[in-house]
Amino acid sequence: MSIETPTAPVPSRTATPAARTEGGAMSRPRGTVATVVVAILALVWLFPLAWALLNSFRDYGYTQANGYLSFGGWTLDNYRQSWEQGRFGLHFKNSVIITVPAVLLTLWLSSMVAFVLARFSYRFNLTLLGIFLAANLLPPQALLIPVFRLFREIPLPLFMSDSGSMLNSFWSLILVNTAFQMGFCTFVLSNYMKTLPHEIYESAMLDGASVWRQYWQLTMPLVRPALAALATLQVTWVYNEFFWATVLLQQGDKFPITSALNNLRGQFFTDTNLVAAGSVVVALPVLVVFFALQKQFVSGLTLGSTKG
Amino acid sequence: MSSRTPRPPSIPGSAMVTAQASRRSVLRALGLGSLALSSGSLLAACGGDSGGGPASGEGATVKFGINEAQGSGPAYDRLKAMADAYAKETGTEVSLNAVDHNTFQESINTYLQGTPDDVFTWFAGFRMAQFAESGLITDLSDVWPIDGLDDAFKQASTAPDGKQYFVPVSYYPWAVFYRKSVFEKNGWAAPETKDDFFALMDDMQGKNITPFAFGDKDGWPAMGTFDILNMRLNGFDFHMALMAGDEAWDGDEVKLVFETWRDLLPYHQADPLGRTWQEAATSMGNGDCGMYLLGTFVVDAIADVGDDLDFFTFPALDDTIGADALDAPIDGFCVAAAGQNQDAAKEMVKWLGSAAAADAANNGADAPFIAANSEASTSTYTDLQKKSVEVVSAASNIAQFMDRDTNADFANTVMVPSIQEFLKNPDDIDGLTSSIQQQANSILG
Repeated sequence: MSIETPTAPVPSRTATPAARTEGGAMSRPRGTVATVVVAILALVWLFPLAWALLNSFRDYGYTQANGYLSFGGWTLDNYRQSWEQGRFGLHFKNSVIITVPAVLLTLWLSSMVAFVLARFSYRFNLTLLGIFLAANLLPPQALLIPVFRLFREIPLPLFMSDSGSMLNSFWSLILVNTAFQMGFCTFVLSNYMKTLPHEIYESAMLDGASVWRQYWQLTMPLVRPALAALATLQVTWVYNEFFWATVLLQQGDKFPITSALNNLRGQFFTDTNLVAAGSVVVALPVLVVFFALQKQFVSGLTLGSTKG
Repeated sequence: MSSRTPRPPSIPGSAMVTAQASRRSVLRALGLGSLALSSGSLLAACGGDSGGGPASGEGATVKFGINEAQGSGPAYDRLKAMADAYAKETGTEVSLNAVDHNTFQESINTYLQGTPDDVFTWFAGFRMAQFAESGLITDLSDVWPIDGLDDAFKQASTAPDGKQYFVPVSYYPWAVFYRKSVFEKNGWAAPETKDDFFALMDDMQGKNITPFAFGDKDGWPAMGTFDILNMRLNGFDFHMALMAGDEAWDGDEVKLVFETWRDLLPYHQADPLGRTWQEAATSMGNGDCGMYLLGTFVVDAIADVGDDLDFFTFPALDDTIGADALDAPIDGFCVAAAGQNQDAAKEMVKWLGSAAAADAANNGADAPFIAANSEASTSTYTDLQKKSVEVVSAASNIAQFMDRDTNADFANTVMVPSIQEFLKNPDDIDGLTSSIQQQANSILG
């Protein structure tokens, strides 16, 4: 944020020399200091990641014998082995089975709530939004036992869950993720929908559009940027979710990829280079999503923060 | 689920499941209260009703939950070999649920209260007894006795209520490991007495070799040192009573253990908190350190010198107590009370204790463990395994290791940080022991 700004005001300064010298932009020395500080912080943040990446390409035997400060022992074997030993193919599939429906469901349900909250004025609108947000503030761990017991008591037919209950099924994870992500999505979407001009709805009503039609054919196309941004964010959040999967699933081959990373650890022995390679593989989809859709990320986080 | 009994068509499956679930949970709630024992047996009966289906043979299925992830190495291969052998021998279908060791252990409570498998891998000792008391595992006293498993193992499978809840399969001792070639070159021999022991350590230091490799980054390896010192200085009975919460952690006995340990620390590698046990093992393997107190799994980290390894039991520190006790954690199987096919589970668990099961495991993959069943073939054993058998049979008392002999919460949340604190600051023993005692009061009651 601070790095790029100094270049912008320069032309304006030449045009009107007497005007602002300081103000929004930083002076050159302060800009340099900021750059250095930010660069150092970035290095501190990146170092552990780069270190893990580096060592994921090294042979465990070599690093164990020569220490991690040595140089050498390069191999791609960790990647091959982590893929096979961690059975990443299977677990990636599980992650997709959980993530895709959870994200779609979250967006669909929260867009409906948001539509009502933004377009109709009931007395409890604000309260309702407050409740959705409050639930977002509750740490999921606090709900561990109630959710666990609840799911244990909910029977599912055997073709839906081979355990006969919500526990130990993908349904439980999809629902839990949807529930926990809805608060944030509703908040963002309702704020975004409030920025849509009211006149559109008035003309739509004059043309006889039903509420459903106003939602589906008018609002949804207009909030598509917001939906895209949220979808990007949600995919990474749900994909990275680890806690509920470990609690609600009890069958090893149902674990999503994040929980399956543990498969690379042994009872006594942990090959840290192998785990590093596995972590890189697991993090890769998130990184791809992030770099490909960077813009959506930023807009997703700032969406609805200003009222138009 | 294919093991479910045919039910009257009038009752929908889901209704039956609800009925069972609610009945079970009511009982479980009771079980967690004061009626632990009686409800435990009711629970087991309950599980029996719901399951049914043939116990073994064609058409029967038993669910087998194991604490090793697929492809995680010999430990998984051994369990898989046992499951396959059982399926082949009886025609029962074994549905394997492989979860990695740490996840399995950490989520064992939700596992047993949720939808557990029929048979699952677990540990002997307090960890088993805890679940027996809360009615989460099935009474297996009708499975015992099992041919080839002697009284010591029966004892280790017995909960405080006098019934067996466990079937052992293998174990491994904790002892002091060294490299034969290093000892030979320096003219050293395994010490028999306390004086020998200290003379050996002084001689090592004189030759610029650190006597003991030591690492406690993960928190649990140093528990082995505490265990052995406590058993040598205060005896096995005191050690077990201490683990059960019946003796004081701030008494003179425990202080003596920490004081002795403090005096031994200069003979150990410095800064153990930054070193994993693998790194410590490596420094013993490459000759920087003379000895390492660990379980036989130490060979996993230094397989290249595996043939050169030998071990001795920690020598006596107090002649009135001797050196006849050691840590030798026993692994084995339990039957989950909420499992769906109790009969099939009992049938399988009995077979798992047999010599045939042990042989299947030993043929499946090499691991530094030894079979609990005395009739199991020892032909595939390495020298280390053969010696393990000798050492453990010579021991008159066997402990399970601290994190299995006491409450898991106490071991992990109190003892791990306390021992690490001690290793950082070995001088404040009074403060340390009284802090442990305070926490023990609240956890062990």
